[in-house]
This record gives sequence, C-alpha cells and structure tokens, in this order.
Amino acid sequence: MYNVRKVTDDLYWIGANDHRLALFENIHPIPRGVSYNAYLLLDEKTVLFDTIDWSAGRQFLENIEAVLDGRALDYLVVNHVEPDHAASIQEVLIRYPKIKVISNEKAFMLMRQFGFGVDGHEDEVKEGDTRSFGKHEVTFVSAPMVHWPEAMVTYDLTNGVLFSADAFGSFGALDGKLFSDEVDFDRDWIDDARRYYTNIVGKYGPHVQALLKKAQTVDIKIVCPLHGPVWKAKDLGYLVDKYDKWSRYEPEENGVMIVYASMYGNMESAAQLLATKLAEKGVDKLAVYDVSNTHVSHLIAESFKYSHIVLASVTYNLGIYPLMHNYLMDMKALNMQKRTVAIMEGGSWAPKAGQLMEEFLDGMKQMTVLNEKVTVLSTLNESSEMEMDQMVEAIVESLRDA
Amino acid sequence: MLFRTTEKHEEFRAKIREFAEAEIKPIAFMLDQNNEFPDEAVKKLGQMGIMGLPFPKEYGGAGEDILTYAIAVEELARVDGGAGVILSAHVSLGAYPLFAFGTEEQKQKYLVPLAKGEKIGAFGLTEPNAGSDAGGTETTAVLNGDHYILNGGKIFITNAPKADTYIVFAVTTPGIGTRGISAFIVEKGWEGFEYGDHYDKMGIRSSTTAELIFNDVKVPKENLLGKEGEGFKIAMSTLDGGRIGIAAQALGIAQGAFERAVEYAKEREQFGMPIAFQQINSFKIADMATKIRCARFLVYSSAELKEQHEPYGMESAMAKQYASDICLEVVNDALQIHGGNGFLKGMEVERAYRDAKITTIYEGTNEIQRVVIASHILGKAPKQEGSKLKPKGPITGNRKKVMIDGDTAQAKVDKLVEALKNDGFDFTVGIDIDTPIALADRVVSAGKGIGDKKNMKLIEELAVQAGAAVGSSRPVAETLKYVPLDRYVGMSGQKFNGNLYIACGISGAGQHLKGIKGATTIVAINKNKNAPIFKNADYGIVGDLMEILPLLANALDNGEPKKPAPPMQKMRKATPKKEAPPWKLHVCQGCGYEYDPAVGDPEGGVSPGTLFEALPEEWICPDCGESKDEFIES
Repeated sequence: MYNVRKVTDDLYWIGANDHRLALFENIHPIPRGVSYNAYLLLDEKTVLFDTIDWSAGRQFLENIEAVLDGRALDYLVVNHVEPDHAASIQEVLIRYPKIKVISNEKAFMLMRQFGFGVDGHEDEVKEGDTRSFGKHEVTFVSAPMVHWPEAMVTYDLTNGVLFSADAFGSFGALDGKLFSDEVDFDRDWIDDARRYYTNIVGKYGPHVQALLKKAQTVDIKIVCPLHGPVWKAKDLGYLVDKYDKWSRYEPEENGVMIVYASMYGNMESAAQLLATKLAEKGVDKLAVYDVSNTHVSHLIAESFKYSHIVLASVTYNLGIYPLMHNYLMDMKALNMQKRTVAIMEGGSWAPKAGQLMEEFLDGMKQMTVLNEKVTVLSTLNESSEMEMDQMVEAIVESLRDA
Repeated sequence: MLFRTTEKHEEFRAKIREFAEAEIKPIAFMLDQNNEFPDEAVKKLGQMGIMGLPFPKEYGGAGEDILTYAIAVEELARVDGGAGVILSAHVSLGAYPLFAFGTEEQKQKYLVPLAKGEKIGAFGLTEPNAGSDAGGTETTAVLNGDHYILNGGKIFITNAPKADTYIVFAVTTPGIGTRGISAFIVEKGWEGFEYGDHYDKMGIRSSTTAELIFNDVKVPKENLLGKEGEGFKIAMSTLDGGRIGIAAQALGIAQGAFERAVEYAKEREQFGMPIAFQQINSFKIADMATKIRCARFLVYSSAELKEQHEPYGMESAMAKQYASDICLEVVNDALQIHGGNGFLKGMEVERAYRDAKITTIYEGTNEIQRVVIASHILGKAPKQEGSKLKPKGPITGNRKKVMIDGDTAQAKVDKLVEALKNDGFDFTVGIDIDTPIALADRVVSAGKGIGDKKNMKLIEELAVQAGAAVGSSRPVAETLKYVPLDRYVGMSGQKFNGNLYIACGISGAGQHLKGIKGATTIVAINKNKNAPIFKNADYGIVGDLMEILPLLANALDNGEPKKPAPPMQKMRKATPKKEAPPWKLHVCQGCGYEYDPAVGDPEGGVSPGTLFEALPEEWICPDCGESKDEFIES
C-alpha cells in the first residue's frame, strides 16, 4: 500500500522509514530509525528527485506508481549517488525505460562505477544550468564534498523549494510526520541531527561553509533533505545557525564534557568527583560519558556541542586506553578543532596517557590544552585531589573568559 | 698565465694608497679613540669615484672591475680597518642589491647618488633572533594600499646611522621561513624610522654601527626590491659578493700589521742585532708573508671570477674565511713581534689586532662560510625528520598578550588593576623592595625608558604599592648605574621566577626576556607599541611612564602599609588559547584532502613551507588528482 505526503502544490514526499537498520553506514547506531526521502514533482513533465535505499525499494516503487496515477515518469534528478539514495535507480530505469536522468559528470561516473545502468539515459548538467518541466524551472548548484564529491542541490526557481541532498538531514524516522513544524525539533530531534551532521559531514566544514554562502543568495521557501523532516522557511534559521556553528567548529554551549576511560572504576570515581566539583562551582552545562559504553558517534556529537572537553584516561599497554584512543582518532578524522581540553591521566606504575593525549591533541587544530593536569596514581589521593582543584579553577576561569 | 695584477691595477693601488696614507692614516688613532666616522675622507672618496667603483658609468659609477674595488678596500683597511668596511658595506651591501635587483627607476633614484658618493648605503638583515639563520627574521612588512607598513628592528648595522639608503629585509608572509622574506629600500628620515644604540665596539671603531628601529614606517610599494618572497635570495646573493669586500678588508688589515711588524723588527735591536734576524722572528715573518700571499690570491681570484660572471659563491666564501682566519694569526704575530710596545694604545698594530676580530664574524661567520663551501661540494644535506614548520612563540612562552586600552590613562590603569585582582593578586601584602630578585614574589623593573635618574622614585613608589622588589634591565644597572648590578634581570643577570613582573620602559631584548620566562604574570608598560615586550607579556599598556606609574601606584595603594607577604606560593599561569597558524589551508573539492603549507606535498616534490599560491599551476591533488583550481580556502 502506498504511503505518501504532499509537500506543496505539485510536489509529493514518496520516501520510506526504516526502523530495522541497526547501524547507519554500518557504524552509527540509529535507535530512532531513519527516513529515506525522495520527492516527486507533477508538472507537464513528471520528475523524481533522487531514489532511496534498496531495503525499502518496494514501498518506494508503490509510492511512485500511486502518485503518477498512470502517467509516465519523464525525469530522475540525481543529487547524490550514495547508495542509501541511489540504490533504487536501476529498478526505476527498468520500470520506466524512457526516463532521462539529470545529473552531473562526476555523479554519472559514480553511477556507472556502481553499475546502475544509466547509459543512454544521461542528461548531463553543470552548475547554473536550468531545466524546465512546464510550470517549474529548476537550477543546479554543486555542493562538492558535502560529503561526497558529486553532491549537488537542485533549486526550484518557481516555488523556492531546495532539494538539499544530505545537507540539513538527520537521523530519526519520520513516522507519519513530515514538516519541521510538526515535530519539536529542539526537544526530540536536535541530538540526532547533530550526531548525523558531525559524524557524516563533520570533516567538511569549509565545504559546508561554501554551500551556505551560495544558499544565502536565493530565496528558499522549503528545504527537502534526503533524511529527516522537510524544513519550512520560518524554521530554517534555527538549523542554518546550527550548521554555521558546526561547520566553523564553534561550540554551541559554553560548557564541559567529561569523557573517561576506566578499567576498575578508579578513574570513573575521579571523573565523577571532577564533575561534582565543577557543578559546585556553578558549571551547569555539564555532561559525563564513559568511553567504554558510549558509542563514539555520540561522543563526537557532544564534542561538537561543548566548548570544553575533559579527557580522563587510564594508561593501557603504556598507551592511551584503546577506546579513548579511538575517540581521539575519530575527532581528528572529523577535523574537530578549537576546543579547550583538560587532561586527567591514570596509571599505577608508569602513567603515560596524559602526555600521549597531549601530543595527539597537538596534531589537531587549535586544541588548547590547559596547563593544569591531574595524574591519578591507581586511585585519587590528597595530592591528586589538589591537582584536581587547580584544574577545576582553570576550567572555570577558562569558561568565564570564553 | 701570470698570476699578477695589471699595471692599471697597480697604478690604481698607488693612487688609493697615497690617499689613505695622507687622509686617513694620520687621523686613524683619533677616530679609533673617539668612535668617530671619517666624514671628510668619505666625502673625498666619493669625489674620487671610489664609492661607485664597480658600477657602470651610466649609473654614476666608475666602471672599474671588481678587483679594483677589492684593492680599494684592501688599501683603506691597510691603514684603518674601519675605513675599509665603510667602503665595503656601502658598495657591496648598500649599492650592489640595487644594481643587481633594482628596477630602472630604483637605480636612477637610489643607485646613482650612492655610486656618485653623494649618499651612503647600508644593509639591514641581522636581528636579535636572526643572525646566521635569516629564517628567524621578525621584522614585518604588511601591505596596506600603496604602502607597506614596516615594523620591527635590526641590529649591528654597519654605516648606520650615517647611511642615507638602507636595504631592509622583512617578513611579508609570516610562518614560512625564508620564503616569506622580502627586501625593501628605506630612506633615512622617514617617519617612524629611528636609530637605537650606537654600539661601543672593540675594533673598527671609525666605522659606525647602530640599531635600526621601525615603528609603522610607511614604505611606498615601489620601494619593494625584487618581488615579494625574493628577499632571502637577494640577501644571499648580496652576501656572496659582500664576502669579497670583507676578505679584502681582512687582507688589508693583515698587510698593514705585517708591514708594521717588519719595520719594527728591523729597527728593534736585541742581543746585538735587529730582532727580525732572530730565527724565531724571521720564520714568523716568512709565515706571515706566505699566508698573506695565499689570501691575496684567493681574494683576487674570486674578484676576477665575479667580474667574468663565473660562479664565485664558493670561492668568495673560501677567500673570506681564509683571509680573516689568517688575518687573526698575522695580527697576533705582528703584535708579538712588537713586544710590550705593541700592547700600547696608539700603536697601529694594537688597533689592527682589535680591528681584525670582526672579520671572522660579520657578513657570515666563518662557521657559516664553511657551511657554504661544504654545500657547494656536497650539495644539500638530507632532509631531517620532523623539520616541519612550526610557528615560533614568544621567548617568555605563551602569554595572554592582552593590550589594555581605554580612553584615559586612568581607565587603562583601573582595568589592569582589576584584571590582576581577578587573577588572585592581593595588594594588601608586600615584600621589601630590596628583596633579592631570585626570592621575590613580585618585581617592578625599570628599563631605559625611565629616563632621568630622579624618575627611579616612581619605580620605587610603584614597587612599594605593588608589594614588590625593585629590579631593572641590564643597561639601567650597568650603563646608567641607577641600581646595583645584582638587581638587573636577564639571562646574564638575575632570574625572576615569582608571580608578578611589571616591566616599565623595558623594550624587551632577548636576553632580558630569557630572565623572566618563569614569571607567572608579566605586565609591560612602554610608550612604543611595537616594543617586543608586549608580545611577551600577559598585560600591556601603551603610555608614558611619567603618567602611568603614579596612577598605577595610586590605584594599588590601599591606604595603609602593606602587611608582610606570606611565603611565596607559585600561582597558576593562565593557558593561552592555541591560535591558528598564520598561513592559509586549502581543501580539495574532489575528496576533501587538505593542503597544509607546513607539511607541503612531499610525494609531489613540494617542500614544507610552500604556500598554496606558490604551488605550480600544474600541481594536482595528491589524493584524487583534481587540479589546483578545484581547491577552496579552508
């Protein structure tokens, strides 16, 4: 049975929701599911904007048929070739063999590489080209490395709809709702949106900045992303502001995130005491995570959110605790920068994690490591608590100056 | 071939020797004693065409060859080492870069008067942190419309402040080492261009040497010599030629001392005969003559190579290194032959002995000359691991560098006191102003900016109110003698490791800054906004000491005597924010690869320090092969 929603005159959401997938990109947990969005325009010509993951292919094909209501499908615009959006292209081509595929040179190259069988269907466009489908005329804007090189967005000059590809998307299934004003985004969605952006697109801040600059020049009425809610103009400022911060690597909150690695609970108890001391000093924007049982995608998202990070790690095989190390490597890979970091290390005979973490941070961009450090020898004692008090002072002062 | 100068060269030598003997030799001792520049003699040299010897006649020169020029330097140095270097610095360092790298307009405007001897030239490369290694240059030139704004300073500049035209090297692209240096033509008298100390030197005292200070000096765009980024190349090429001049100077000093020694040894009789014929002395004389002949061949040969436009970089380095090394040996032996008489002031050999030493040091130390020679033979040393660019921080470590501004002096002082109190300083307690520096928790220190001795009262009053001991910079203790020698702070003096250091009128010489590295908080008060101290301080106020110090003392005064301070406890030092490097990063739109000039692209043959703009047009992304124009600024 088809399941579609009308976006605006002539335009329909024909995507699907997925609650069965455990790991997005086979790496990021998505307990709230995910939506794969595709859109169908009914003009003098019929135009499909992107396809969806093959796992929901049947729902998608039923939706197309229902909305077309017997009409032929004339065009498919491919904004992004990543398989969660492009895997159903081949089936669409088989079912609608006269269809023209509108996309750019790099995207066609990738479609051929994936074996989607687009030969003979190509209508290649470049940035600034336009296509008219009757009432609606669209133009194409390239969005390279947001987060793939072929990515582009399509802007409907007639009604101000922007098909934004992965930009402005989020984890989380729509489950019947569609629009940004049908959900309490700041309460229910922002954490997943942040986790989606930072883990998927986080590395490409400069490219997102370039796209935001281009977007400023047009009057956008509706944003149709490939995941998550459709954005109405009145709500868009909220998300653009977040995107601007994330892509400049500026924190949202002047607050502290404590991430600890603890084998037997000694470092955990030190981290907890540090949190207590900070809270007593009035630090209320405060989050504490155990690196061993928090998925790194959450840690990354929180790192983008907070201005200050405390890394508390035990020494393991004369190195950084492996899961802490993994978190650090992920931060570096995602271009994380401009944070103030406090370092707490643990060890019983040769504590080294602190020095190694500081060296690691030195290889990142503008990561300021506070002078005050804490070394926990086996477990916190009076002298390391004094170090901790100094660290608390330094963090509070740094929050004040930020 | 016959290894001999031409008749024309020897005729010239006779002429310049006659001049030197008549015009310089008689006053050489006086110039040496008074640290005095021979203005008259230099003017006459100009009229004789000597100041522009090797430059073509159309640029006001004499159109002579390089060897003639070398003979001129040699002959002047033979009677006075200082006179030799005046000519060498003027021709080789001041005028030559204009001749070799100047535009036609620059040559007409600047080279012609230099070559005619109407003006004097000089060369400004050396800085406190950029001696043999020009990569440490800190003077900056920032393009602002049709001017560059020059800031910083140069030290040990020969012919300053007499010179009218200066070739000055400054960083136009920070953070990338020598590739970011450019050369500029700067005129004496431009606003903001001042001279610092005239140095009190061991030798070559008739040559003047001073410090150059640039404070927002506006240098017209057309005074950029060569292109941006070519400064290091221009400097090195200039020094290649300059070495011939210094080698000739060393040769002349040695020749003069040798002649005096021979004369003296023939006159002085001991044990019934002239000491020249004591074998130990005759052998000395034989060795001296041999060394001088070797040096002369090296010097003349490299002059000939340069004249013939043959490669001469290695040969001129050999000449400079050898001539100056043996010059020291020759003057030492010459003085030894003179016995006790040679040890007396007024003896030419005594002056030659002092004049000689600088020749192994300046225009490339002899250690660097050996580096140059070896590199010609061995090529570049293999790249060492970890030779990545790193922006260099201030000497005192990372500091807050907060410049306190306000509408009035009072407003600035109030802000400063508030910031210090916020940092945890308690101004109700204090220490005795005579507490030894090493034990002091706080020090108020005076620099030369304090001026008259009576102003030390202001320092003492501020010290009392700040609960601090009194300290000073080296010149204030050593030269001005305002405080005992054990109270000056610096690398060679006392080290301050306490919590608060207030530097008043201290510009921030490297040696001073090294003495306050351990300070928790450094406050700088100075009228010169470009004083290096500000980059090394946590808080800075630009202002007149006479105005700021009393206001500050007053603001710290709690109306009652300071209570004795508790035992010193080292305070927490604020962590400064890590800053972005001065260069720009670029990212590939095909794959997200990031080009970082600090890393370069070793596989693509691009060495670290290469700016993105400087990458060749055909350079492609090492990860995905996109072209250079597919990159955007990060």
